Amino acid sequence: MLEVVDLSARAGGFVLGKVSLTVQPSSCHVILGPTGSGKTLLLESVIGLRKPQEGKVILEGNEITGLPIERRGLSYVPQDLALFPHMTVRENILYPVRMRGGTQDIENGIVRELVDSLGIRHLLDRSVRNLSGGERQRTALARAMASGCTYLVLDEPLSALHESLKKELWYLLKDLQRRYDLAVLMVTHDLEEAFFLGDTVSVVLEGRVRRQGTKEDVYEHPASVEVARFLGIRNLFHVEKEGGTGDSPLVYCQDLRTTLKLSPHAGKWNPTSTSSFAVGIRSENVAILMPGELTSETHNVIEGTIEDTYASGALVTLMATGRGSSTSVEAALPRSMARRFALAKGHRVLLHLPEESLFVIDPDSREDLS
Amino acid sequence: MTFKGISIACSFTTFGLYAVLILSLFYFFRTETLWDALFSERTLFSIRLSVVAATISTFLSVLIAVPSAFALSRYDFAGKKAVDTILELPMIVSPAALGAMLLIFFNNPLGLWIQDHGVQFVFTFYGIVLAQFVTVCGVSTRLIKAAMDEIPVRYEAVARTLGASPGKAFLTITLPLSRRGIVAASILSWAKALGEFGATITIAGSMAMKTETLPIAIFMRLASAEIEGTVVLILILVSIGLSILYIVRILSRGDSYA
Repeated sequence: MLEVVDLSARAGGFVLGKVSLTVQPSSCHVILGPTGSGKTLLLESVIGLRKPQEGKVILEGNEITGLPIERRGLSYVPQDLALFPHMTVRENILYPVRMRGGTQDIENGIVRELVDSLGIRHLLDRSVRNLSGGERQRTALARAMASGCTYLVLDEPLSALHESLKKELWYLLKDLQRRYDLAVLMVTHDLEEAFFLGDTVSVVLEGRVRRQGTKEDVYEHPASVEVARFLGIRNLFHVEKEGGTGDSPLVYCQDLRTTLKLSPHAGKWNPTSTSSFAVGIRSENVAILMPGELTSETHNVIEGTIEDTYASGALVTLMATGRGSSTSVEAALPRSMARRFALAKGHRVLLHLPEESLFVIDPDSREDLS
Repeated sequence: MTFKGISIACSFTTFGLYAVLILSLFYFFRTETLWDALFSERTLFSIRLSVVAATISTFLSVLIAVPSAFALSRYDFAGKKAVDTILELPMIVSPAALGAMLLIFFNNPLGLWIQDHGVQFVFTFYGIVLAQFVTVCGVSTRLIKAAMDEIPVRYEAVARTLGASPGKAFLTITLPLSRRGIVAASILSWAKALGEFGATITIAGSMAMKTETLPIAIFMRLASAEIEGTVVLILILVSIGLSILYIVRILSRGDSYA
C-alpha cells in the first residue's frame, strides 16, 4: 500500500495544501483536476523529484519521504514519456534491469514476458525516435514495469493521444494492472479516463483535495459546487428544507418552483445546521417521461418546455425550463431516444429527477451557486 | 528596399568584409614561397607546437568543463552566479591582459612557490598550455552547459526512478545525449586555443623553436617584414579554422529533445 499523509509542497508561488491519499495494492488511484491545480506537483513530491514542505510518503509501511529517488520503489512515466532518444526500444526497456545489475537471463525473461504482453516485440530494435504515439506509450509502460516495481506513477501518459488510441490503451492498462497486480497512482484531467481507470479518485482543485472516494461515490456525489462544476454537472439548484422524515426528506427548490423528494443517501443531510443548501443531478440521470408513465409513486417531475437541443456524438443534450421558472434543467439522452420522442425546441416534456440520483452539496462547503 | 532585403544585404556585407580580407592575402601569395614556408623546419615546429599545445589544453579544459557545466546546468548552489559570471572573463578581458595576469600571478609568493617546487610555466611549453587553457576553459564550459541545458531534466529523473544513481544517470543519459555538444565545444575550443596569441606571447614569450606557436610565428614574420611567409601561415590558420567550423556545423545539426 502507498500512503501519502498530509503532504504539502510549494512551486514558486503555488502551494499544494495538505494532501492525504492511499493507493491500495492492485488498485488505481486517480488524481483528477484541471491544468494548474497542483496534480503534477503532488506526483513529483511523491516520487521525490521535489522536496515536500511537510508530510510523509509511506510505501508498504516504510517511510520513503527522505529516500533518494532510485531507492523509493516507484516507477514513473511522465507526461512526455521521456523515452531515452539515444537508445533502441530494447535498450530502453532493459535500462532498469541493467541499472539494478540484472543478469542476461533476467533480461531475456523480461523481454519475453513484457514485450509480448504489450505487443511490441517487432519494435525491439527500432530507435524510439521512429515510434508512433501508441508505440511510445507501450514502450514507456514496458520500461516502467521492467523495473520490477509494482507501484506505477503515471503523469497524464495518454494525454497526447487521439481518442481511439487512448481508449485502446485504457483497456491495455486495466489488463496489465490486473495481470501484474500493479498499484497505480495516476494524474489526469480527463474525466472519462479517470472514471474508467480509477478505483478511487481524488479531485484536486487549486492545490487542495476537494473530494476523495471510490469512483462511484465521487461520480454520483460530488459533494461541493466546485467539484460538481469541474465534473461537468450544470444541474445545481438552491433548495430549502421543507419537511419529510430523515428517510425521505423533502426540500423546496426555488429555482425549479417545485418540491423535491431526496434519498436518505443523497449526501451529507444535516438539516439542523442550515435550512438552505443546494442539490444537483447529472444530466444523464434526468429522465424524460411520457404522460402514461406517471404514477402516484413518481416524485420530482417537472413539466417543462425545451429551450434548445444540442447533438454531440451518441448523446443529445436538451435544455428545458419548467413552468414559471427561469432556471434550465439539462438532460442528456441517447440519440435514438431523442429521435423516438421527436424532441425539438418548443416541445413540452415531463422531466423526471429521480430521488436516488439527486445529490446534496455539503452544507458545510459554504459555496455559492452564483 | 524591403526589410527582408535590408537584412539579407547586411548579412552579405559581413560576409563580404571577411571575404575581402581573405582574398587580399592572395595579392602577396607566391606558390614558390608556399612550399618553402610550409615545409621549413621552423614552420613545421610552429604547427606541431600549436597542435600539441592546443590538444592538451583542450583536453584539460573539457575534462574540467563537463562536470562544471553539469553542475551549472542542473544544480542550484551557493556562488553559482559568481561561477557563471566569471566564465566570461576570457571574453571581456583582452588576451594580453589575461597573459599579464598569469605573469603577475607567477611573480607573487604562491606563483613563485609553484614555479620553484612544481612546474616552470613562464617562457616554457607549459606556459603555452596554461595560457590556452585559461583562454578556452570558460568558453568550453559555457558551450557544454548550453548543450546540457537542451536536454530535459526529466530524462535523468526517469532514469533515477528506474534505479540509476545520480552518477549513473549522468553517465548513461546526460553524457551520451550531450556528446555532440561536447565534441562541438571541444573542436571550437581547440580552434580557439590554436589561434591564441595575446596570453601565450605574454607568458611564454616568442622564442623561435621553443615557444613560437603558429600565431606567434605570424606576428614574428610580419614584424620582420616577411609578408609572403606571413600570408602562407595565415592561410594555414584560416584553412584549419574554417574546416573546424564546418565540422562543428555538421555535428550541431539534428538533436532536439523538446
